[in-house]
Amino acid sequence: MTEVALLDRAFAAITARMVATGQAPHYAELAAELGLDVEAGRQTLRDLIETGIPAWLHPGTDYIVSFPPFHNLPTQYRVTVEGEQRWFAQCGFEALAVRWLFPGKRVQIDAPCLDCGEPLRVLMRDELIAVADPETIVGYSRSQVGGAAETRAWR
Amino acid sequence: MNLFRSEEHARRWAEFDPAFAELLQPLDHWAERFSAPLFRNRGRADYITWLLSERAGRRPTP
Repeated sequence: MTEVALLDRAFAAITARMVATGQAPHYAELAAELGLDVEAGRQTLRDLIETGIPAWLHPGTDYIVSFPPFHNLPTQYRVTVEGEQRWFAQCGFEALAVRWLFPGKRVQIDAPCLDCGEPLRVLMRDELIAVADPETIVGYSRSQVGGAAETRAWR
Repeated sequence: MNLFRSEEHARRWAEFDPAFAELLQPLDHWAERFSAPLFRNRGRADYITWLLSERAGRRPTP
């Protein structure tokens, strides 16, 4: 099992890449960044996913599909930071957490409503939800996920 | 885990399940929930160490 200090570095490296580019690195790139050989990079990625963070690989591969709060495949939750659309959020709720990785910046979420297809928009900066259009936006989940019941963000 | 234009839209959604109606909440509710340290701390250099400490019930460094 990979040492926790190395998992810290791997998590930070993947997060930094996604913040900078909107795309997750391949494990060979991760390996290079961590100073590992390619196979060790792949195992580190697998061990990181096995920690239970809400991230996952494409089945049967070592390609990162989702890494919180981002999604490496386009979703309906488009994220725009300071006017540049480069990111996708993992889900509607994680979209609201993207702002913590862009301190001091304007983070905008645009998505279609799954009922009617009409747009909705949320504009945030740090603690402030500056715009919710329409003002009646709600969130809904059909699943109890998010970690242990006593600590998960929703239950 | 989706956003809808209003409660009425969410309840009309083809996949709406009344069994989870308590998880239908205003935007501000979810924005607050996703302001917890679990989410804010993702930029930490030692996030996994911190997370594992949280899970173990120990108080991590703030």
